[in-house]
Amino acid sequence: MLHQALHLLPTLAAAPPAHADSGAAATPGGQLLMLVPALCVLAALFSALSGPLKIRSKIPGYFSVACLAGAFVAVLLTYLGHESGVKIAHGFEWITFKWGDGPGQALTGNFAFYVDSLTLLWMLFVTGLGALIALYSVEYMADDVGLGYARYFFAFNIFVLSMSCLVMADNLLLLFLGWEGVGLCSYLLIGYFYKKPVAVAAAKKAFIVNRIGDLGLVLGLLATFVAFGTLGYDPLFAMIRAGVDAKGAPIADSWVTDVIPLLLMAGAFGKSAQVFFYVWLPDAMEGPTPVSALIHAATMVTAGVFLIARMYPLYAADDDHMALSLVAWCGAITALWSATIGMSIFDIKRVMGYSTISQLGYMFAGLGLLAPTGAAFHTLTHAFFKATLFLAVGAVMHGFGGQLDLRRLSGVARMRGFGIVGLAMLVGSLNLSGVPGTAGFFSKDMILAQGFSTPASMIEAPQAIAWVLLLTAGLTAYYTFRAFFRVFTGPVEYLPGDDEHLLEHGRHPKGTTLAEWHKQHGHGHGHDHAHTELTGVAARRAHGRKDFDPTTEEFDPHPPGWAINASLVICALLAIAAAALYFVKTPHAEEGGWVGGMIERSSAAFHSPHEFNLLGITSHSAMYLVSALVGLTGIAVAAFLHAPKGWQGLFLGSRDTAATSRADALTPRLGRVARWARAKWYVDELYDWFLVKPLRGIAYVSSWIDKLLVDGLVDAAGALPARVGRVLRPSQSGVLHGYAAGMAGGVALVLLLVLIVLN
Amino acid sequence: MIDRIEFLWPEIALFVTTCVVMVLGLSRRIESRRMTALVTGLGLIIAGVLAARTTPIPGPRSGQVLLPELIPYAKVLIASVGSLLLLLQAGTVDRAEEAAIAAGQRPYDPLRTNRAEYYAFFLFSLTGLMLCASADDLIWLFLALELTSLPTYIMVAMSTGRARSREAGVKYFFLGALGAAVFLYGFALIYGGTGSTNLNAIHAHLAAHGLNLTALAGFILAFLGLCFKIAAVPMHFYAADVYQGAAPQVSAFLAFVPKAAGFISILLLTATIGWSYAADAQGPLYTPITQSAYDALEGAVSMGLPEPIRVFLWVIAALTMTVGNVLAILQKSVKRILAYSSIAHSGYMLVAVLAGPNNGTFSQSGLAAVLFYLLVYGVGNLGAFAVLACLEGRPDADGEPAEIEDVDDIRGLWKTRPLLAWVMTLSCLGLMGLPPLLGFFGKLPLFTSGLAAGEIVLVVILGLNSAVAAYYYLRLIKASLIDPPSDADLPATPTPFATRTLAGVLSAAGVVVLAFVGGGLMDRSERAARYTSMMAVAPPPPPRKTPYVPGDDTPFPLPIPIGAR
Repeated sequence: MLHQALHLLPTLAAAPPAHADSGAAATPGGQLLMLVPALCVLAALFSALSGPLKIRSKIPGYFSVACLAGAFVAVLLTYLGHESGVKIAHGFEWITFKWGDGPGQALTGNFAFYVDSLTLLWMLFVTGLGALIALYSVEYMADDVGLGYARYFFAFNIFVLSMSCLVMADNLLLLFLGWEGVGLCSYLLIGYFYKKPVAVAAAKKAFIVNRIGDLGLVLGLLATFVAFGTLGYDPLFAMIRAGVDAKGAPIADSWVTDVIPLLLMAGAFGKSAQVFFYVWLPDAMEGPTPVSALIHAATMVTAGVFLIARMYPLYAADDDHMALSLVAWCGAITALWSATIGMSIFDIKRVMGYSTISQLGYMFAGLGLLAPTGAAFHTLTHAFFKATLFLAVGAVMHGFGGQLDLRRLSGVARMRGFGIVGLAMLVGSLNLSGVPGTAGFFSKDMILAQGFSTPASMIEAPQAIAWVLLLTAGLTAYYTFRAFFRVFTGPVEYLPGDDEHLLEHGRHPKGTTLAEWHKQHGHGHGHDHAHTELTGVAARRAHGRKDFDPTTEEFDPHPPGWAINASLVICALLAIAAAALYFVKTPHAEEGGWVGGMIERSSAAFHSPHEFNLLGITSHSAMYLVSALVGLTGIAVAAFLHAPKGWQGLFLGSRDTAATSRADALTPRLGRVARWARAKWYVDELYDWFLVKPLRGIAYVSSWIDKLLVDGLVDAAGALPARVGRVLRPSQSGVLHGYAAGMAGGVALVLLLVLIVLN
Repeated sequence: MIDRIEFLWPEIALFVTTCVVMVLGLSRRIESRRMTALVTGLGLIIAGVLAARTTPIPGPRSGQVLLPELIPYAKVLIASVGSLLLLLQAGTVDRAEEAAIAAGQRPYDPLRTNRAEYYAFFLFSLTGLMLCASADDLIWLFLALELTSLPTYIMVAMSTGRARSREAGVKYFFLGALGAAVFLYGFALIYGGTGSTNLNAIHAHLAAHGLNLTALAGFILAFLGLCFKIAAVPMHFYAADVYQGAAPQVSAFLAFVPKAAGFISILLLTATIGWSYAADAQGPLYTPITQSAYDALEGAVSMGLPEPIRVFLWVIAALTMTVGNVLAILQKSVKRILAYSSIAHSGYMLVAVLAGPNNGTFSQSGLAAVLFYLLVYGVGNLGAFAVLACLEGRPDADGEPAEIEDVDDIRGLWKTRPLLAWVMTLSCLGLMGLPPLLGFFGKLPLFTSGLAAGEIVLVVILGLNSAVAAYYYLRLIKASLIDPPSDADLPATPTPFATRTLAGVLSAAGVVVLAFVGGGLMDRSERAARYTSMMAVAPPPPPRKTPYVPGDDTPFPLPIPIGAR
């Protein structure tokens, strides 16, 4: 009925969902989680309205923090009350396409949540980190108070809303809506500094690259609907458990388990920046740093991991695990590939960006290697330690006028007010490098150990994948500590950033405008992060001076305030504490600790075989030793090449300026390899030549065809009414008897026609 | 007759109000005179409430039985849009006179003021419109139509002090008289052909004996005469001149009130004929077929209006929308654009009249579509005219403020008067039929009812015309919302009447809000369009040419995803 279309505002329906016939264990419950979207919407509306209401204070920020914290509490309470099994929290009936009464003739996507332990695991860190990073943003975005603040927090809250819908959805359609929602928010936030052409280009790139992946996701959804006649998880999983599709045909060796996982994988790889799709994520670092921390490190980019974990029953139902093998291999290759780039570039924020891609590769490899617990655990620990790292990098960026080049910063940790930042950075780096005892160590270990244990009959060459990952672990430790040693240790020395940060905050830290600042210093900085030569201003140095007084210098680094420090401390503590989760005993799983229990109770559970034994010890114990060794080696190499001379009594270092280190002597010997890696293997250029330029050519030709042919036709058609009008116009002469004659003539003519011709 | 009164309370209330207003407007005290508009509004509200409380009883007591539920819907619609129109009328007459009296330049002279007459005519016209909805007899219908129209001639003439208004009034009067003569002649021929002036009796006669040549000629003439009221081809010539000559608030009145009267009358007359004639009937007599006869034919025949009347309405509808739209494209004057667009809207609605009730659901019933579209069109058009009524130029030599006339005059409204710019934008988008707004939900059933009746070609013409219409509506939107302000030395200043702005804002809000809460209105219009035919003993006639047979669940092939009930 048409009037159904009018009820655009969905009504809250009290009726339970129509899943009663699925026969699965899902029961109604978890209604408390409805608070999460409600609070996000509330915070978003308030933030949006604060612009027109001319609220020029940090109130929208604090309000968002409060709402997101409330959302976290709601998730926490739900978790505490959750035993096992699946609950479905029904919100309202939302989307219904119905063209018949038979099975598979109605497509429903209700606003309902599928609450199991996988959902809760993800929601805990999405809302928790959301609240924490909102707190960080309150201070970080302080210079934009007003309209920018409103815009930022609006998109921020909508992001958490969409992410929650994505994670909690009880059907793939709602997941897809959340998926697109986070994509939109990512676009809006990457392009937050919309006056910077780089940021706008990065936002567009992220959006467009994601569209390509999303095409796969949409096709996957359609294929799922074709095969199973539903998009609801509950009936879907029931059918997959039974090993049949909607028609009752077995799925294990049919197209269903081959094609759908691959299509979904394309979507997941787009969102999570894997293999061919990863190019958007490094550019996305143009957004404000809290956004990079939350969206492009901790939460949104793990949506792909979540999607595969959520649909794990379907992946596991395939008899030859073809899709899982592909996922594992792509993950491992991405991990290695981006680690090599991370080793060679100088922009620390982008180093973190590439490291995120690399760690996401680990997670996918974990999923593919039949270690969903390891993947989920690594997602969780990565969320915390990578958020810590980004927030620390953001604090540096905030303090030094947007400076991100590791050749222009040194000894930051020793400067007044930057102690906490340095410590947080250290905690994050240790985790990322997988130093024994850290959370990152245990989660990485679970994936590596499973890689050596998985039999080759289930996944293609799992040992080879594990070796690649192990190599990557060493490279990771190197590039992480390369950044740490160079930026945070050594002689205190810095150059303020160029216009990056000035534009971010709209003014120079000293209060002068950008143009004045450039005039004063008589130079123009390049905008490119990758340019290798240090030109322009001589570094302002304060060799080893603890009493370095920035006020006499031209540039005044501003150390972080309480909000940034508080969020850093909490984030770092959480990153440390995550290690304890590994040792939590749970009745639900033999290994993996708390996360193991969570995954074991969810649809992503998979009982992987353990076949590996080395010299009588299990794969896990063996991996403890091997990966610890690899990680420490990486750190040692980094220390040898980049640690400062005589630094704290360590004999390894030799660096005495910010700009140079032992590695400079080494790179020419590597020849082209180093140069190519620094140029990010020319992937962007490759895409430009082989995809963008041909497409642009086609677009150019099409545009001419459009202009000449189509527009010509349209213009001709458009000119027609005007021509007809010109013909008719004289009839509207304004003369009374003319009109009367026209009317009478019309009447006579019509009567004549009707009565004589038609009759 | 006397038992009919219980359905006429709204009209009676309006008449009593008219009497009060006529006296009150002549009062010596300015306070009392100012009460005139308020009392008028009160009367309209009372009439609306009384209309809403009318429960139609099927049967001869409530008048015609073909559209038994029409009365409450039509009258509430008339009272509501009438109230909005009333808000727009503030300060139309006596502005200079009252200013002079207040300044003490001249004493109060009841002979020089027009307030009492103006509001009385306003109410008379609305009373006539309501009486049209109550009509069950040709004579009644004629009187009601003339009661609707006669006051408007004078309202046009007195709406501004300019000669152009008086010229428009005179033109309107003479051409209106010609139109009235045509449909009165038609009514007489219908009487001659069927032996009765009562609509029910005519319907029964047609059911029994078919449509003879005299009656056919009568109906054609009656429709042609009514085409004047709705400004359809070939009786449309007056519209642009008259709308342009009258003050914008009176043009808004003209664009709704006579048009609603015309469409209600056309619905009554088509319902009297009925939509149960076989398409390929031969011979001089068109006889409606009963359902049993239809079933016996096993779908070999499709049903609708008698073929000559169908073709007649088809041609009129196609010509009206095309002529209205192509002439609107060329105009510079906003008022003329709106006048021609109102001609086009009449054409759109005629498509639905032609389609008939089909299976009676909202998406298929053309009658419901017309009744709902009257509201959609009334609200949207009122908003557009309200913007013009809210603005005026510098006073000329006579002290009469210049009118806002050209599209250029509303350029850059977003800068000077952002509220009015948005009113104009929303109203135009609504009239265009852009999806989330009310106009879309009004226009959609015009299409779907046409499709359900099998009038594919006509629906295509309707679609093309909607696209053409977008051109000039977007031009108005562009002028008010995007273009920079014109630097001409004729800055549009706001008129000092806040209620005019209120009327515009209310209609613009209606365009948005009613789209979201309009489900109830659609139900009402569906019920108001309930058609009971004596000849169709008879479930609804099936589609005419059956190219598209919708199922029960999907009235039209558009997926409607949201808010499934």
